[in-house]
Amino acid sequence: MQRRKSRTHSMKYMLAGGSVVAAFGLLADPRGLLPTPAPAKTVCQEIVQSKSILSRDQLSRLLAIPERSSKVQIRQIMKEPYCQLPQVDVRSGVSARREAYPLAFDTQTWLIVLYEGDEYAGYDFSFRH
Amino acid sequence: MQAMTSASVTSMGATVFGRAIAGMTSLALALLSFGCSRAPSADIAPAIKLYQTWELQPGDTIGDRTVLGGLGDISLDLDGNSVYAPFDGRTQVDKHRCLIFSSPDVPAYLFRLCGLNKPHLGFVSQGTALGSGDLLQFAALRKQPNGTWAIVEPAKAILERTLKKP
Repeated sequence: MQRRKSRTHSMKYMLAGGSVVAAFGLLADPRGLLPTPAPAKTVCQEIVQSKSILSRDQLSRLLAIPERSSKVQIRQIMKEPYCQLPQVDVRSGVSARREAYPLAFDTQTWLIVLYEGDEYAGYDFSFRH
Repeated sequence: MQAMTSASVTSMGATVFGRAIAGMTSLALALLSFGCSRAPSADIAPAIKLYQTWELQPGDTIGDRTVLGGLGDISLDLDGNSVYAPFDGRTQVDKHRCLIFSSPDVPAYLFRLCGLNKPHLGFVSQGTALGSGDLLQFAALRKQPNGTWAIVEPAKAILERTLKKP
């Protein structure tokens, strides 16, 4: 009688344990355990102003400026960049210039600004410099 | 006395089993939220609202036929070959299973690649194979001040970077 109860309990524990393992296998995302590839590593072509950094205030003012504004408008806020990136041709017939600004509060992160001619096209953040 | 002991053992067993089930349920719920919050959302591109209000887009259907490319898509004969990441960046899929490539090195632009089999999703380095196929529909999208994305003509250089094995 006791042995039968003990066997029943063992079965229950095995079922419970097995269910946990099965739940983990079904629901967990093993990709989270794998190393994440390094994010983009932007390479400067030419250092323009080695001490250039972007403050929070400058960043918040930049974010308020809509795309396709003039480069002059951006430069009034941002001054000289830390460096220029190589030119790229993304859109037919237009060469894009890119400038990089390390953030004052996180110098590992750069703000990349893209211009086409005298027009500001947009920005993005490049991490881990 | 023996009957009482047996009853208390049974009751204790039931309590332990109940706790095990409760613990298992909590763990399963925790794993469920963990599993659901990661995989699908990271690889699915946010909805892209186009600047152009063209009626037909890749992935739409006419009758029982699928639209492979629309206005603004450059059609390329891949002939089973691969395409490659033009910059370090990230790939996601849109609702029509087209690949959306974005890169912090190229602000204000997205590239849409339709027609790839088993596209590579996630963070990629420049030159990483993104997938292969027979017919590639490539579109360059430029961000507009109102938050929409305009399809623009891509430069040859971008197409070459995408098609050429590094």
